[in-house]
Amino acid sequence: MNDSNLVEVEDLYFSRSGRQIFSGVDLVVPKGKITAIMGPSGTGKTTLLKLIGGQLAPDRGRVHIANKDVHRLSRSELFRMRRRMGMLFQSGALFSDLSVFENVAFPIRVHTNLPETMIRDLALIKLQAVGLRGARALMPSELSGGMTRRVALARALSLDPDLIMYDEPFVGQDPISMGVLVKLIRQLNQAFNMTAIVVSHDIKETLSIADYVYVISDGRVMAKGSPEELGKASDPRVSQFVHGEPDGPVPFHYPTDVDFADDILRGSGLKERTS
Amino acid sequence: MKRSRWLECGVGVFVLAGFLGLVFLGLQVSGLSFSRGGDTYTLNANFSNIGGLKERSKVTMAGVTVGRVTSIELDPKWFDARVTMSVTDELKDKLSQDTTASILTSGLLGEQYIGLTPGGSPDMLKDGDTIKDTQQALVLEELIQQLVSNFSKE
Amino acid sequence: MINQLAALGRGTINVLEALGRSVIFLVMGLRLPLQNGLGLLLRQIHFVGVLSLPIVIVSGVFIGMVLALQGYVVLVDFSAEEALGQMVALSLLRELAPVVTALLFAGRAGSALTAEIGLMKATEQLTSMEMIGVDPLKRVIAPRLWAGFISLPVLTVFFSVVGIFGGYLVGVDWLGVYSGSFWSTMQNSVLFTDDILNGMVKSVVFAVVVTWIAVFQGYDLEPTSEGISRATTRTVVYGSLAVLGMDFILTALMFGEF
Repeated sequence: MNDSNLVEVEDLYFSRSGRQIFSGVDLVVPKGKITAIMGPSGTGKTTLLKLIGGQLAPDRGRVHIANKDVHRLSRSELFRMRRRMGMLFQSGALFSDLSVFENVAFPIRVHTNLPETMIRDLALIKLQAVGLRGARALMPSELSGGMTRRVALARALSLDPDLIMYDEPFVGQDPISMGVLVKLIRQLNQAFNMTAIVVSHDIKETLSIADYVYVISDGRVMAKGSPEELGKASDPRVSQFVHGEPDGPVPFHYPTDVDFADDILRGSGLKERTS
Repeated sequence: MKRSRWLECGVGVFVLAGFLGLVFLGLQVSGLSFSRGGDTYTLNANFSNIGGLKERSKVTMAGVTVGRVTSIELDPKWFDARVTMSVTDELKDKLSQDTTASILTSGLLGEQYIGLTPGGSPDMLKDGDTIKDTQQALVLEELIQQLVSNFSKE
Repeated sequence: MINQLAALGRGTINVLEALGRSVIFLVMGLRLPLQNGLGLLLRQIHFVGVLSLPIVIVSGVFIGMVLALQGYVVLVDFSAEEALGQMVALSLLRELAPVVTALLFAGRAGSALTAEIGLMKATEQLTSMEMIGVDPLKRVIAPRLWAGFISLPVLTVFFSVVGIFGGYLVGVDWLGVYSGSFWSTMQNSVLFTDDILNGMVKSVVFAVVVTWIAVFQGYDLEPTSEGISRATTRTVVYGSLAVLGMDFILTALMFGEF
């Protein structure tokens, strides 16, 4: 275990309802850096974050965070460790019975005994950072998708975590707030030396902020390297993904045994017989 | 998360009213009373048949409720029923020793209770005494049986 | 043949697994959070108990009135209409109040609990709570379980009280039964321990069963909108069946002559 790494994932195997999702994933997240995990949809990127956060247990392999094996911790130790972690969910996952302000104040309230005025100040600072201080009185149901994500980011940051995990932060954002988010993630990393894991398939934005990139496909790490190295990668599958080409070795079609022409002809044959 | 005051009050009223409801059920519906003991004294009576008499059945005098049956058990010496009742203190040392206790029925099919009829003896019943003169419950089946056998004799 | 045997085995294992999960869930879900636990509990008692009051009170009054009306028709043939109070009170306290309140509770509060928790699960609110380092079993589940356990017995008391007044209204004010004998037959036949306390014991058992089913169905459902609607239906169906089944067992134990 290397002390300069905050998260180390070794030889991770995971399967769900009979489907193998990971078969031997190794990756490290260095302290103070932004590590991106990319890959086509359906490769279990969100599942990987849940494994790192200790919400799912792997079939085999280990996840270490700050030299502690996540899946060997007791329930209370795990919850204590999660106070040092922030996670931004794809859906935002705001508490629907609390206002925007109360959502951001929630982690501060439950984990500290700060006086009400301090909680207010801290929550407003975070809301100001995501540009939604004016929306503090709104309920989550009154927010647009992009605003929800930004409130969720403010909430994930409210305890100034050591590690923050972004699950598809750029999906469904308009160009302006996308730019704001990209800037915000980079600034957080630079100003507070915050370690970040970004899970995404938005290539341009992710490559622009990441220090190191892992590309996952078919349950394995298919490629890794700095954004520059990946851009020049010779592996056709990697270059297909990084450059977003529709045709290439990664199939667009869900696998099937039957040839398309046969399938069509078989259908019309059925119709002839019934008529 | 702030608790608003009206919510707290609402829950408070809810629980309190539920408790009062239980008290109401106890007092008004099942006739429990808090003031038991102290102002009653105990009398016993043996009956050869108590019929449908139960614990908590009424004890009356001239139709006025003056007490309740507290326990009923079999007296193994005489094979009859030993009924213990608590009677209001107002009658303490005022009932003569030859008072009669009879098991009566309210209406033809109604509940059974004990009726006390005062006698004329100068000696009075004391706390814990036993009433000697008792009249057993009227059992309808026996009555009908007697009636039928009387008819068949004629 | 082998396939059917395997299907039977698989079904049994699934049911046993779900039962095991639900027992662990109940044990884990009984611990209230230390911080603001009372506040969360009060909030849930408000949602589950106070907001169920209108339906319980209205149903109680009507059931009491119907009991008096039906009972009168039968009793008057035996000139025993004085026993109306006894009949109304005993039917309510022993059976109708605990059972009907529990059924109403399963429909009103149980389905709401399932849907609410299910929605929190489907929108990843429970997951995000875990990631914030807060145990949803303590923060979300425990207050709801306890609120159900407390609210249903209280609602049952309300049901009995308003039911008896509903019976009084019809029997005494409308049908002309003498008010004194209405109360005195009631007081002579109703025993506090046998009738009122047994009724309360029933309603506590129903409270545990219905709330447990409702909250577990919400927590264990498949996080899709279809999953939520199916789980809500299951809460009402399983909850009602469990109440009726438990009622038979409890009645046999309490009032049966074994």
